[in-house]
Amino acid sequence: MVSLRRLIIWSIIGTGISSVTTQLLTIREFLTQFHGNEITISLVLFSWLLLTGLGSLAAKTIKRPSLKIYTLLTLIIALWPLLQMIVIRGFREALFIHGSSPSFYTIFFYIVITVSPYCLLTGFILPYAQKVLNYNHQHFESGDLYITDNIGDILGGALFSFVLVYWFKPFPIIALTSAALILVALLLLLRSRSYILLLTTLVLISFFYSYALDRTFERHSLSTQYGDVIRYIESPYGRIVVTREGPQHTFWESGTPFYSDANIVNSEEKIHYPLCQLDRVENVLLVSGGLGETLAEISKYDPAHVDYVELDPYLTDVALELAVIRNAPFLEIKNIDGRRHMKMTERRYDAIIIDLPDPDTFQINRFFTREFFALAKKILKRDGVVSMGVEYSQNYLSEIRKKTLSTLYNTARLYFRNVIFLPGQEAYLICSDGELSLDIPARLRSKSIKTSYIEGFFYGNVTEDRIRKLKEGIDTNEAINTDFEPRLINIAFQEWFIKHGTSPRYFIVILLVLTIIYMVFLRRKEYVLFSTGLTTMGVEMLIIFAFQVIYGYIYLQIGAIVTAFLLGLLPGAMVGNTWRRRGASKLMLSEGLLLSLLVLFYVWVAYFRSELHPLFFLGFCFVFSFLCGFQFPVVASIIGEQSSPAAGCLAADLCGASVGTLVTGTILIPLWGIRYAVIFLILVKISSIIVTLFSGNKAV
Amino acid sequence: MPGMMTRKEFLKSFGLGTSALFCAGTGYGFFGNKKDRVRDIRGHIFKNDAPKRPWKWSIEGFHYASDGTTVQCQICPNRCLLEPGDRSVCRSKVNIGGKLYSMAYGNPCSVHVDPIEKKPLNHFYPTSLIFSIATAGCNFRCLNCQNWEISQKKPGEVRHIQLFPKDVVEKAKERNIPSIAYTYSEPISFYEYMYDTAKLARAGGLKNVLVSNGYINRYPLIRLCRYLDGANVNLKSFDDSIYRSLNGGTLQPVLDTFKTMHREGVWFEMTTLVVPTYVDKPEMIKRMCAWILKELGPNYPLHFLRFFPRYKLTRLPATPIATLEELRGIALKEGIRYVYLGNVPGHEGTQTYCHNCHKILIGRKGYLITKFNLRDGRCKFCGTPIPGRWGASPLSS
Repeated sequence: MVSLRRLIIWSIIGTGISSVTTQLLTIREFLTQFHGNEITISLVLFSWLLLTGLGSLAAKTIKRPSLKIYTLLTLIIALWPLLQMIVIRGFREALFIHGSSPSFYTIFFYIVITVSPYCLLTGFILPYAQKVLNYNHQHFESGDLYITDNIGDILGGALFSFVLVYWFKPFPIIALTSAALILVALLLLLRSRSYILLLTTLVLISFFYSYALDRTFERHSLSTQYGDVIRYIESPYGRIVVTREGPQHTFWESGTPFYSDANIVNSEEKIHYPLCQLDRVENVLLVSGGLGETLAEISKYDPAHVDYVELDPYLTDVALELAVIRNAPFLEIKNIDGRRHMKMTERRYDAIIIDLPDPDTFQINRFFTREFFALAKKILKRDGVVSMGVEYSQNYLSEIRKKTLSTLYNTARLYFRNVIFLPGQEAYLICSDGELSLDIPARLRSKSIKTSYIEGFFYGNVTEDRIRKLKEGIDTNEAINTDFEPRLINIAFQEWFIKHGTSPRYFIVILLVLTIIYMVFLRRKEYVLFSTGLTTMGVEMLIIFAFQVIYGYIYLQIGAIVTAFLLGLLPGAMVGNTWRRRGASKLMLSEGLLLSLLVLFYVWVAYFRSELHPLFFLGFCFVFSFLCGFQFPVVASIIGEQSSPAAGCLAADLCGASVGTLVTGTILIPLWGIRYAVIFLILVKISSIIVTLFSGNKAV
Repeated sequence: MPGMMTRKEFLKSFGLGTSALFCAGTGYGFFGNKKDRVRDIRGHIFKNDAPKRPWKWSIEGFHYASDGTTVQCQICPNRCLLEPGDRSVCRSKVNIGGKLYSMAYGNPCSVHVDPIEKKPLNHFYPTSLIFSIATAGCNFRCLNCQNWEISQKKPGEVRHIQLFPKDVVEKAKERNIPSIAYTYSEPISFYEYMYDTAKLARAGGLKNVLVSNGYINRYPLIRLCRYLDGANVNLKSFDDSIYRSLNGGTLQPVLDTFKTMHREGVWFEMTTLVVPTYVDKPEMIKRMCAWILKELGPNYPLHFLRFFPRYKLTRLPATPIATLEELRGIALKEGIRYVYLGNVPGHEGTQTYCHNCHKILIGRKGYLITKFNLRDGRCKFCGTPIPGRWGASPLSS
């Protein structure tokens, strides 16, 4: 019979594997449920960490732990992720109006209610495991708990990011990563000779696996939201769903339809407004939007070569398969990030057409920035054109839209002599150093190009009045948009709140009040962990954002970043556990090092911003989290094992982490940019250094 | 230990808490029968949101009841009951000192000149231009509103120009535009401004067109009809629960509006935006057509518009063209004589066919007329009178 100590240690590792995988799957699930901007990532991580922290705090109240309850909780943790995923997918339709996009508060509420059972349980079970061991006279310190949990976290993170994500869909991933925990639970039940319970458990497990491994069931779980799903792909870059509505195909990414067949107005406007400006069209770069009639419209100019850049190969593959992209001799599909292609290509283009949604994520914002226009200018031929469309109401230019259009206009004007907006179904920005014409039908007539929409509708929709009013709405004093100070994202977030008639103000105030109340009860040394948790998650968010800015995608890399952070925690905690004597000076040293790393990051963001290899970022994550991991056993040792520091320290670490995630991800970066976010984190770390200096070696 | 929770107590509390959550959940409707849950997004009154005094662009409301303190607006079926300081659902009416004021009078935020076909009106002086105005405000809360930046705002929250009724008429005349449209947001929310302008316009020889959701009470509508020449009114669906959950209104008052306009002799066309999974059920369209035929007759044109994701309704696909074609087929088969498709450039459903000989009466390419086979309001081929308001052939000018 396996010893109790060993079984519980395995269960802690199993919990780590399951919880990290579930966390990553949940983030990805919410990214696809709520259009996947950075606010969503922050809200999920915030709720996750906070609820886990609360779970840990709840464990403080337990004085006489029971092995049977522990076993049951272990089993629930193993099986719950599948239920959670089904609930996230299914509840959406029950809670929100079908087809609608929810507001900030409803998203937050939805995240909290769907993840809270699992997070509270996983937060609760770790300190409870330690209590079970100690109650059964198996000595197990807080540092040991932290290290063991980290081993599970790392295993889970690595398994998910480097293996499972490439091969499996979410439900089978859950089935696989829960296996260890299920096995331990069964062994614990066997050990306690609870045979009836064992039998019930076996029935439950068989249900769990029959559903988790059933492909049809997984696809069916999406159909309430999407309709008739004919393709469902979990690509490394996001979830692609293709639905069929009669003979029509609709392509969805991140839960939003981005293409439905026969959108003639969009195809004609985005292609002809820029291309008709040119005397001759030889080379065209199309960034996204190559589905449907787009290429047919481009072909009317008889181009020699069209590079159609689409990041996700699965998307173009399925579109080719369904004949939504029609192959043409001039067409070359490139599955690469658009910005990267622009940097690497040696081709010179007559036109660059950007067909992306409005910039409300860092990834998309990169095609609307100063850096983008500079790059575009380099690869354009003389008098070539760049164009892009942004949402716009034809009948009234609101203040917030005015800001968007003005920012975009001013940014483009830095590099192009002529910049115009055409008020079509979207506001189309056309930039060139050559002359630009507003009379599109006349240009098309001169080229003998026939259209369905522009010929008949242009003069009624794009009137001189409307063009003039749009032009008058441009404020040349608006700021410009850059990769690292994403002004347009800031505006998009403001608009999101305006659209839903809400404000983040109440949320910020409540968060602030709760943080202050919590800090009143915090021990000084726990504040160090709180601040380190805060800065660590803040840095994690910054790296996620920086990654998006530089490489343009995050869906896959988010796993690698989280794993790199987890990977650092373990050796850090082990070193901390070994060197915990004379803790105060070592704590001070680690504080200084954390501060230095933040300053280093600031210097890079403020002065260099060079494109570093991803390993630099992952290495940075590792070192940062190493120091974070180091501090935990040191602080626990300073407080003293007799004061049961595990729950308090875990809670401080997790609460700090949740605040860091939220403040950095939803407030600082979108509102003030990456630079100011780093400054905030530096100030937090300085505050904890001051607290450390003044508290010396005292426990409280 | 005193103050400490025992395991038993903890489990008890946990169990109770979970049960409470489930009860609350059931109460909220999480676990109930989905069909029983009609989500109602109808707007609410804005308590204590009115300004202290009227502004330059205010006028005392035309139709309201008052007990000296509380007022009730009688313009639309919302019938907002406002205490002093309150603002109506449509955001345009306020109670100041026991009187109802409209805050949307002479302050349009949107002024454009459009082709009449854009409203859409296909049987009303084709290719003529129309001077179009709107102030902020709407008595609905449509999740797919394409003008939400003005319809879901208070008059004080948007930029506007000053254009009192006589100025509107003068502007239209200056530019030689024969009609005025009250459009974009919801004209019923600026009823007083619309009414006074329409009265002056009629006196000045201009035509008046209402583009609306039709959510208006009978009496103010009858008064308005005296000056209306044409209208395009949305029949957003034929299901009260869809009206409640997608638009924040109710169906019956809209149906009453059609009946009143029909009785008052106002030319109108009906528009239905075909929202996938909501307004695309053939059975519902059949019922709708049956009602139209029974109450209004076969002559008023019906426009089915293609939906594209907008505003808050962004998680739906565009309407399949096949669905639009199917619904058009149903409506024609049921007996509606003129059924058009909108937002589908180049489609045959944008042309006007004679209901008798089925030849093309008006050939359209967008807003351009390519064929005009009407003479004195009759089909040039078979002589059948074609319902609508027709002027001289647009091809002759």
